[in-house]
Amino acid sequence: MSRVHPLKISVAGIRGVVGDYLTPNLACAFAQAFGTYVGPGPVVVARDTRASGEMLVHAVACGLLASGCEVIKLGIVPTPTAQIYVADIRAAGGIAVTASHNPPEYNALKLFNSEGLFFNRYERAELIDLYHQSEFRQALNEDMRRVVLDAETAPERHFARILKQIDVEKIRRRRFRVALDAVNGAGSRMSVRFLRDILGCELHAIHADPSQPFPREPEPLPESLGELSGLVLRARADAGFAQDPDGDRLAVAGETGRVLDNDDVLALAVDCVLRKQKGPVVVNLTTTSAVEDIAARHGCPVYRAPVGEANVVERMRAVRAVIGGEGGNGGIIFPAVHLCRDSYTGMALILERMAETGETLNTLAAALPRYWRRSGKCPFEHGKLGLLMQALEAALPGARIDRTDGLKLMLPEGWIHVRASNTEPLLRISAEAKSREEADRLYALAASLC
Amino acid sequence: MVRGARSLRISPAGLRGIVGHGLTATHVLDFAAAFGTFLEPGGPVVLGRDPRVSSLMIREGVAGALLATGHDVVDLGIVSTPVIQHAMRRMDAAGGVSIGASHNPAEWNALKFLARGGRYLSSAESEELLDIYHLRKFRFRSWDALGRRREDETAIDAYLDALAAEFDLGALRRFRVLIDCTNGTSGLILRRMIERFGMNFILINEALEGRTFVHEPSTTKKMAELQLAPLVRTVGADAGFLFDIDSDRVAFADEQGEAASEEMVIVVIADELLERGPGRIVLTNLSTTALLDEVAAAHGGTVMRLPVGRQAVVDAMTAIPADRIAVAGEGTGAVMLPQFPYVYDGIASMLTILARMARRGEPLSELLAGYPSYTILKGKIPVRTHFVPELFDELERRYPEARIDRRDGLRLDWDGRWAHVRVSQTEPVVRVLCEQRGPAPRRLFDEIMDLVRSYSS
Repeated sequence: MSRVHPLKISVAGIRGVVGDYLTPNLACAFAQAFGTYVGPGPVVVARDTRASGEMLVHAVACGLLASGCEVIKLGIVPTPTAQIYVADIRAAGGIAVTASHNPPEYNALKLFNSEGLFFNRYERAELIDLYHQSEFRQALNEDMRRVVLDAETAPERHFARILKQIDVEKIRRRRFRVALDAVNGAGSRMSVRFLRDILGCELHAIHADPSQPFPREPEPLPESLGELSGLVLRARADAGFAQDPDGDRLAVAGETGRVLDNDDVLALAVDCVLRKQKGPVVVNLTTTSAVEDIAARHGCPVYRAPVGEANVVERMRAVRAVIGGEGGNGGIIFPAVHLCRDSYTGMALILERMAETGETLNTLAAALPRYWRRSGKCPFEHGKLGLLMQALEAALPGARIDRTDGLKLMLPEGWIHVRASNTEPLLRISAEAKSREEADRLYALAASLC
Repeated sequence: MVRGARSLRISPAGLRGIVGHGLTATHVLDFAAAFGTFLEPGGPVVLGRDPRVSSLMIREGVAGALLATGHDVVDLGIVSTPVIQHAMRRMDAAGGVSIGASHNPAEWNALKFLARGGRYLSSAESEELLDIYHLRKFRFRSWDALGRRREDETAIDAYLDALAAEFDLGALRRFRVLIDCTNGTSGLILRRMIERFGMNFILINEALEGRTFVHEPSTTKKMAELQLAPLVRTVGADAGFLFDIDSDRVAFADEQGEAASEEMVIVVIADELLERGPGRIVLTNLSTTALLDEVAAAHGGTVMRLPVGRQAVVDAMTAIPADRIAVAGEGTGAVMLPQFPYVYDGIASMLTILARMARRGEPLSELLAGYPSYTILKGKIPVRTHFVPELFDELERRYPEARIDRRDGLRLDWDGRWAHVRVSQTEPVVRVLCEQRGPAPRRLFDEIMDLVRSYSS
């Protein structure tokens, strides 16, 4: 039997293929459960540029109004922008209608608490129980609230927070030449305004039309960003940036058009922040060890969280981290702006560092501690992960072990991490080492036991 | 029948209930998805709503479900049902949804579904819609075949153009008219009529209200007596009118400050339209005044009586050529004109009554006094539905000399008077109506009420 199902309702929210699976009825009921959970008050609703976004926003608004919440519609804005808006106006909560980097037939609801943060795992469990129990708050006409439209102020609130944390004049003076691939996503208009008008860059943008479909794989990975690389070269740009459809993830290309490894981008961002401010760092278990090396240089501790933005954010909040994120998927989280993955913060931090040092992106990347990484996946079967974990532990008896998310085995020469994907029926295998040969060997070992 | 238990009603007429206490977002989504599945593609679906706050919630759900079933949606905002129906014809819409609970109190709401041409669904269509709703197998479209939504703010003006083509508004401008909008949609339309055509309307309770209405939105004579009639003389108006929330029904009062019986709305309109022609048939229900028969006969017309409810009228209209119908409606102030087919339109009703005043050239009080006097008594009693058939049989045995009509409860006819006893579609009660030419049929009414009461729960 295939373990791929077109709908998933879980503690992470609700995600599925629009049509017969993710229906407006489901979205409405889930939103009403959400409204019941956060209580009557304003709830912010935003969406990305997916064709199904408009339909789902109406269904979500219906469920929220039925539960007695006021609905504040932001229209098409990036997820971090919506989160910051929630925090700024002290709303009761927020819902972003976006399937992030998933293909266009998917959509999903991302849920935020009154601080514009992901709910912690215990709160998420309560919410899903409430949904399953289907005993929603049913507002009467006299206590129902209305719909408010605010298509204007959300981007400005987001920019204002970033500008408090970076030296915008330093960036503007350099008049960087920047290439952008906005994937025709929620950030399309905002990114142009941010890079060209606010950071004073000479901007060469492609796919910045929110009315058009996604032109490439929505996930900003090096292999799908060929167009951006070409643009960087043609425009002789200092940097290239690529976003995902809801503007939380960022990929970065250097001046030669080469798209940097996302782990290196995160490591660079960690370095940028720790230079200015000392404090704890939180990254997920699969993120490069370069982060530990950099943090050690600054005398700062690193904490590891299970994979998933919500997990990283939960830990960052608990240890009062000053920077964090997830390698692999291009998620930089800078709490001084907001505790969320934010491509705009990432762009600003990197341009600021380039302006401060006068060095090119490739030079900055080359100065990072050098690790080799291998990652891959194998199909999920029930029971398979446990056997794999046992086999790996037996094969590497001297390894230090972390079991918080699957199994991570740490050796002097490198590490192996095996875990079940949160979003797909896959086992993910990652390995990292100081040399290419060691990385290949560790990866091959894990893959052979799979 | 369980008293007071029904705050949700899903029937061929649509969906109706107290929001949050019977009528929920889940019902809205399911029913709208069923309607989106039922409708053939081709042309948008037109939405409009009344000013209730809950109408906004319902609008969101209906829009979501229609977009998901692949229909483009045109949202007219706050408008009356007749405006929706007019816009549907103009846009050749595949369907329409009117959100609003008309003459029900503020905590209620309802969805009315309209088919191509702006007409209400036939009984057969409504049954199919219900089948789809109960089956819950909706035809949701894939992500790249969903509908798009747009707003249209021109619908009221386009509708007023149609009214202006039908009525000589210049001739009606001389009447000073007091109008109680009951915080409903009529205020928007009438204010625009004043701006565009210089009508001499004095509007009260014009503000759109979402939570509570200044008074119950009912168009009975009693409401007109309480809320409207005393003010008509004070402001020196030639007539006064009172609308419900979606302005499909109207009540009125004359220049002397006398409220007219709600039965008189269709009588005066029928009188005017039969005289104008060409239609000769008046469609009405079994509970409407017999004065209508007398008025129709004077113009050589006939009255065709039907079971109570909009559905029977809608079904009958499909079987009669449109140009043979003079008017259709009921004694509640809900009247359809053939120029605006399939629409209960209180504003067109008001203009027709004003046109009658213009044609006759006499004050409204004299115009009304010119009709023979009929007196109608109305009552309602909660009963146990289980014994309703026995009740009707006992009534029939009790009055063997009466002519019997069993199409909707029991109607008993004698020369010069009649009685109608039927189970309400909207409340858990049996309704009793008795009418007599001349004085009130008090003894007959009391007799029947006593008999019905003996079946009371």
